[in-house]
Amino acid sequence: MSEVDYSVELSVVEGRPGLREIEDLITKPLESKPDKKFFIAISITLTMLMIGVIGLGLTVYYGIGMWGNNNPVGWGFGIVNFVFWVGIGHAGTLISAILFLLRQKWRNGIARFAEGMTIFAVMTAGIFPLIHVGRPWLAGYLFPYPNQHSIWVNFTSPLLWDVFAVSTYFTVSFVFWYVGLIPDFAALREKTSNKIKHIVYSIFSLGWRGSNKHWQNYEMVYLILAGFATPLVLSVHTIVSFDFAVSIIPGWHTTIFPPYFVAGAVFSGFAMVQNVLIFVRKIFNYEHIITIDTLEKMNKIILLTGTLVGYAYAMEFFIAWYSGVQAEQFTFINRAFGPYAWAYWIMISCNVISPQLFWFKKLRRSLVPMFIIAVFVNVGMWFERFVIVISSLSRDFLPSSWAYFTPTATDFAILIGSFGLFFTLVLLFTKALPVVSIAEIKAVVDGAQPTHKEH
Amino acid sequence: MSSSLTNFGYQQKELPVKVRNIGLALLLIGLVLAVIGYFVEPVRSMFNNIILLTFIISIGLGSLFFVALEYVTGAIWSVPFRRVMEFLAATLLIVPIIALPLLFNLHDIFHWTHPEVMKTDKLLAGKAPYLNEEFFIVRFLVFAALWILFYYAITLTSKKQDSTKETKLTRRNIKISAVFIPVFALTVSFTAIDWLMTLEPHWFSTIYGVYYFSGTVLAALAAGTYAIVSLNEKGYLLKGLDKDHYYSLGALLFAFVNFWAYIAFSQFLLIWYANLPEETIWFLQRWDGSWKYISILLMIVQFLVPYFGLLSQPSKKDGKKLKFFAVWILAAHYIDLYWLAMPTFSKEGFVLGWIELAYPILAVGIVVLVFSLKSKKSNFVAIGDPKLKRGIEFKL
Amino acid sequence: MSEKKLYSYTALFNTPDEIIHAVEKVSEKGYKNYDVNTPYPVHGMDGAMKLPPSKLGYIALVLGLSGMMAGLLMTYWMSAIDYPINIGGKPIFSFPAYIPIIFEITVLFAAVGTVLAMLLFFFKLPNNSHPLHGTNYMKAVSSDKFGISIQVDDKLFVKEEVINLFKELGSTEINPVYYDEVEINYKNKIFEPKFIMFLVVAFILTSGATYVTLNKLMFMVPFDWMSNQEKVIPQSKSMFYSDGFGMRTPVEGTIARGHIPYPYKGDLEAASAMPNPLLPTKENMKLGQQKYDTFCSLCHGYHGEGDSRLRGQFPNPPSLHSEKVRNWSDGSIYHVIMEGQNIMPAYSSQLTNDEKWAVILHLRALQRSLNAKETDLQ
Repeated sequence: MSEVDYSVELSVVEGRPGLREIEDLITKPLESKPDKKFFIAISITLTMLMIGVIGLGLTVYYGIGMWGNNNPVGWGFGIVNFVFWVGIGHAGTLISAILFLLRQKWRNGIARFAEGMTIFAVMTAGIFPLIHVGRPWLAGYLFPYPNQHSIWVNFTSPLLWDVFAVSTYFTVSFVFWYVGLIPDFAALREKTSNKIKHIVYSIFSLGWRGSNKHWQNYEMVYLILAGFATPLVLSVHTIVSFDFAVSIIPGWHTTIFPPYFVAGAVFSGFAMVQNVLIFVRKIFNYEHIITIDTLEKMNKIILLTGTLVGYAYAMEFFIAWYSGVQAEQFTFINRAFGPYAWAYWIMISCNVISPQLFWFKKLRRSLVPMFIIAVFVNVGMWFERFVIVISSLSRDFLPSSWAYFTPTATDFAILIGSFGLFFTLVLLFTKALPVVSIAEIKAVVDGAQPTHKEH
Repeated sequence: MSSSLTNFGYQQKELPVKVRNIGLALLLIGLVLAVIGYFVEPVRSMFNNIILLTFIISIGLGSLFFVALEYVTGAIWSVPFRRVMEFLAATLLIVPIIALPLLFNLHDIFHWTHPEVMKTDKLLAGKAPYLNEEFFIVRFLVFAALWILFYYAITLTSKKQDSTKETKLTRRNIKISAVFIPVFALTVSFTAIDWLMTLEPHWFSTIYGVYYFSGTVLAALAAGTYAIVSLNEKGYLLKGLDKDHYYSLGALLFAFVNFWAYIAFSQFLLIWYANLPEETIWFLQRWDGSWKYISILLMIVQFLVPYFGLLSQPSKKDGKKLKFFAVWILAAHYIDLYWLAMPTFSKEGFVLGWIELAYPILAVGIVVLVFSLKSKKSNFVAIGDPKLKRGIEFKL
Repeated sequence: MSEKKLYSYTALFNTPDEIIHAVEKVSEKGYKNYDVNTPYPVHGMDGAMKLPPSKLGYIALVLGLSGMMAGLLMTYWMSAIDYPINIGGKPIFSFPAYIPIIFEITVLFAAVGTVLAMLLFFFKLPNNSHPLHGTNYMKAVSSDKFGISIQVDDKLFVKEEVINLFKELGSTEINPVYYDEVEINYKNKIFEPKFIMFLVVAFILTSGATYVTLNKLMFMVPFDWMSNQEKVIPQSKSMFYSDGFGMRTPVEGTIARGHIPYPYKGDLEAASAMPNPLLPTKENMKLGQQKYDTFCSLCHGYHGEGDSRLRGQFPNPPSLHSEKVRNWSDGSIYHVIMEGQNIMPAYSSQLTNDEKWAVILHLRALQRSLNAKETDLQ
């Protein structure tokens, strides 16, 4: 690969497959019965999910006291996991919206899958604030509707901003995903010979006919949606960062938080998408649709965002010293050398150091190293949120109230369960819907577009 | 391939002498006024000089950043006018000269250069390892040296390719650019901290570097857009650059207008909300007296007007509109820098006199003159770039 | 089969170049009612079909701006007008803090609204009974062929000419599409019994679930744990104390915080010598007026004339402008407030010491207003 020819465009899809070939390949998992591997995988994820359900059951029955949360650490795993999963949910919209606006055609192969992961990650994330409020069945009060108390929600609270941001993000991501699916449902409708499937696909395809009068508006709407989803995706993690940054807790209140959180979210989201994609392309033989080139580009983005996150860590550290504010200075020293130093150095080595390996082209293009690095990134990003939430709270302004946070078995059960839920949904997704957008991939196959020369 | 085809019918054309003369005239007018200003009101002049310095760094460094970005991302559409950005980046060479009067007058500008203050003020005493004149000057010189080094490394390789047409030069520049981008991120942040943030040595904000970065790329992009559209209209660039290229430029401008607003709002909201006196002081200063009007003006000029102006698709494809908003955004960036630096000089309200007008004239003069000198006997198009053909044929 | 009507003639092509070429020719010939069906958007088709630019951008803009206004008005009305609460000392209408929410509502309106507008109004979807559905033509153009369909209702439609045109353009397959008029049903179906039954069932289910949740579920274990706590509620019986009372009386001799013993109990004479320790500053006058309006005006009236809103329900209180009250010393009035007089109860516990004196200041001002001295004019 050392001889790159810059004068020709790299094909997004390798090997010039025919349109029908692509369609057959993408729809194959939907038409075949799940095999043994699938059942093994889903039984593992369902077991994990069950562990989480038990943890949740204990929490609902006995209360939040089952968790390790206590004074002064009132935000424990609940918030750590919430921020982690919302962050994972950022890659999807980034890929489908921002890369779409940047006309990056390689996104077409991975956009659908990443969007699906966004939706599942946001669903998983949504659980945590819901149970953290203590009485999830009263969560309706989070929305401003006229109620018998004749009082309104507190629009000044960043936690309420979260309610708006996350629910808007979920809705818009879902709409975006569904709009992308409509032509594919139509293709499936025409392809299937099963009567029930035909009815289901007919309903979901809304009667799409591939009419070019429709395609024109459809493309416009896709562009508009991408235009709205781009600031939206930035706003969501920005608002999550506001949860911390508008307070005055040292280590939380720092102005770089919004862009830093967004970079971190994209970072972890890409790592997670890349992890899952490596399996998907192998199992379903999508090697020529989700190419090594695509993965390499994702790795470059991981490198970029990882370095941005490193920049933010360094800047925080520098300004904490520079500010001369004792509490700030202490917090950062405490992070690096205090009781949570182990978490801090896990975070630094996973988030800042490990992606630097992607400077080497060889590592960017080989599956095993990139998989390992991406796993490290995910671990590191989880610990980043852990460090932010726990280390700042456990030692705040009042030394007499300092305490060490110890998570309980319930905490871990719910954490495991969140992974179980996420991966169960991902597995079901691979069997229920085309994980690669049929229409979008067809549009970028070599020879799929007119040559422009005739007119 | 025949040679005419490989050059895409590009014929070297020189900018009229008029352009250079205009640049020279503006430069001289600005310089004379600035020198007079220095003898009349030295401190005020030096604050204006900081604005000038950061403005020129914005354009030069931002342009070099875009060149590097094109290499690293493998962008196609911008290849036909990359050279224009390279010419603009040449303003980096002037940066040390602009900084020279400042380096001799640090005492008048920076509160922390006074040793008696550093001794008595406990907060500032803690910052002494960073805030001292020696380290400050060394930092600046190292940064400037790095910029100039990378400027030559990237542009000379690019220029060499015009004649040799070697693909390996592209690959070399990709590597140089990949190294340049982290260097850029650090130097641009610390330039912002050094020259602008330490004007108020007690105040601090972690996003400050990013804030200046957002303005930098916006200004460089605006300057580039103006130059590219003007040159293209006059036929200095290759044929076939049309709406799709304009649209990409306009979309980027639009995106960075939003990015700037996002960063500015993040900084403001967090400080406003937490309401800590050591932080709010900075915004309160900019809301005091007539500064309020500049703050409001900035929101309108640097966000609202360009946002609605560039919102629609047709306006991003319209060369005239692009040129108008490019100039508009450049002015907005200058106001932005004025808003960052000047409140330290005049706390009661903003000042606007002939000194404040002299420096923008000087800035325009410098950019125009450097651009015209640099473009002399040089191609306006990187005709040796292997991606050029695709760049011209670029369709959305 | 006789009831089937001809809808259109369709032609299939194999490559995007062919279809673009074909469409250009068809639109050149002047056909208007035709459509092109492709498995994915083909670049340059808008130009070939001479479609006007999509108007959805404007719709998105309008929706976004209305979302923004809705968000702005909602936050403003709810937090500044309907139920203003001071939160963290921030302004009642904290605009910077509302920007995130206004932004989210803007995006939500614009994104969802634009998609709905496109699907429902521009495409008239869902529509599963279009004549093209269920044809081989549809099968082909959803997969790997590019199709064009010229409808019968086009003014220029002549069967042979269309077929010839398609043949000239090199189509591989030319087919007519028929449709069954019964199948194409554009009538409203909302009055069909089935649909009404569905609505009824949905209504019963939703309201039933809501009822159970709000009225039954909330009072079941464990959801009622928060309301059944082992704490002492006023007026409730306590098992803990032997006398069964939940509330305790303080130990004898307890002195409440801030309590100042009143030395002139029942002794108006002695009390009348007390001077007013407060100066008639602006703050004190304001405090006095506030407290007077709250506690005294009920009976004495806002202007102390005894003309209150409770007049007539019991012996009317005397006017405070009488010679007698005007000549009373401040200390005497204080004593009356402390201990009450006639049917006036004591206000010793309602008002603090300073507040009582402030009320007296206000009363003096009221009295002065009706009986001004000449010196006041100076």
